Amino acid sequence: MPVLKKYWRIWLRTASMAMQAQLTYRLGSFGFLLGKMIRLLFFFAFMAAVFQHVESVAGYSLVETALFFMTFNLVDMTAQIFFRGVYGARRTVSEGDFDFYLVQPCSPLFRMTCSSVDFLDIVTIIPVIVMTGMVFSRLPPIGWQGYAAYALLMINGVALIYAIHVLVAGLAVRTQELESAIWIYRDVMFMGKFPVDVYAPAVRWALTVGVPIAVMTTFPAKALLGRLSPAWFAYAFALTAVALPLSWWFWRDSVARYTSSSS
Amino acid sequence: MSPYWVAYKIALQETLQRRSTLIMDRLGGFAVVVSLYSFWTALIGDKATFLGYTRAEMLTYVLALNVLRSFVFTGRGWQLVGEISSGKISSYLIRPVSYHGYALSLDLAQKTVHVAAAIFEVALLAALAGGEIFLPRDPAVWLMFAAAVVMSSLLFFFLEFMVSCLAFWTSESGGPLFCFELFLQFAAGAFFPLDVLPLALRRTLELTPFPYMVYFPVRVFLEKVPPAEAMRLLGMEALWLAAAFTAAMMVWKRGVRSYAAEGG
Repeated sequence: MPVLKKYWRIWLRTASMAMQAQLTYRLGSFGFLLGKMIRLLFFFAFMAAVFQHVESVAGYSLVETALFFMTFNLVDMTAQIFFRGVYGARRTVSEGDFDFYLVQPCSPLFRMTCSSVDFLDIVTIIPVIVMTGMVFSRLPPIGWQGYAAYALLMINGVALIYAIHVLVAGLAVRTQELESAIWIYRDVMFMGKFPVDVYAPAVRWALTVGVPIAVMTTFPAKALLGRLSPAWFAYAFALTAVALPLSWWFWRDSVARYTSSSS
Repeated sequence: MSPYWVAYKIALQETLQRRSTLIMDRLGGFAVVVSLYSFWTALIGDKATFLGYTRAEMLTYVLALNVLRSFVFTGRGWQLVGEISSGKISSYLIRPVSYHGYALSLDLAQKTVHVAAAIFEVALLAALAGGEIFLPRDPAVWLMFAAAVVMSSLLFFFLEFMVSCLAFWTSESGGPLFCFELFLQFAAGAFFPLDVLPLALRRTLELTPFPYMVYFPVRVFLEKVPPAEAMRLLGMEALWLAAAFTAAMMVWKRGVRSYAAEGG
């Protein structure tokens, strides 16, 4: 427990510093915030407008499609709030700051992934939560088991995203390049905005087994709607149980090979 | 040899040299196109038309987006913001070349590589989808499309350039630029055809220069615009381009006058 308390305090301190920095740049922060809101509202308006012309997409109604979209946003934003540091991983390594992480009495992985918090995402997630609540209220009655499965799979999705971020951080330490790796993830993640059922079988398979975007974003909503089989439910947790240790191993191996040549 | 041609060639080599970055960029963009393509395919389902577009036309719209994104939305705005904020712009200001010409040369090099890659990706996706795309037969349509796209690209370049020039007055211009680019892409029809939107909203957007960047060129390509109307719209686009160019130059001149070479 003292360890958890220590990391919580470190996170609070670095988060507070990040917030102060963002408050210093008010115009810039406002522009980024407005941009994020515009993106969210335009996509939502697009979905609503589309359903003026059709009754369902891949067998899902407007409310159900909105549920997939909002779930994607919740998972994605939560990950962005907590693992933002990876976006600057390559720079952290190439400018030599990673050396400081290594000598500090704190996990360098924690420093690399979690110590940079984007408060604009925290502000943006509030309307997303409100909109998700509105979507929930329009769904047919669902038992507590459905909501529990939804919550568990969301947490599982965030854990999987964490594993991907750890891999990207490991790549940055190992190669001091591959700046685009995290942006590829962002672009591929775009596919999670829609239920995976809209894709061709091969793409669907790739998104479930290869780059498991479906597990992160589609599975929770499907579980809530009662359309996820127990086998896929088990698969989601098994995948995370394998991906997390694998990503940690890759990170440790990358750090072991690190020669500090950049600094 | 023109310095702009030299700049173009060097930038082209540089872009091609960073192959892993290029491939990753393209992979990411390809994922977005596959995503939109699949969504529209699911939307159309077995219907003969959707929003007045046949299946082939709608899928062509999505594929054309990939090419247009590579050709239109690759300005030098973020680089300009960085160069002004870091003071690096000083070294360009004292060179015997126009900064805009130089930036356009670099931009063109980037477009050359990305458009070639986008065309390859579209051909691949079209082949995978069974060749179900719409290609105009009238050469005049191709010419009008080409003219519209070239002007779109310049229109984006100068609009983005103008917003980026905010960096001359504030170190926080990244936020407004981010917001502007996102709004512009939606309003231009770069994610979905504007026909989806309610009529009042679409009419409002048509009063701005944004739909001329993607929505209008693709509709010309799909022969959705009668030739006389297309010529009128091309004229309107040219007027918007002239306005954007003039405004960007004015803002640039004022910006350079107030520039204090901070960080340089």
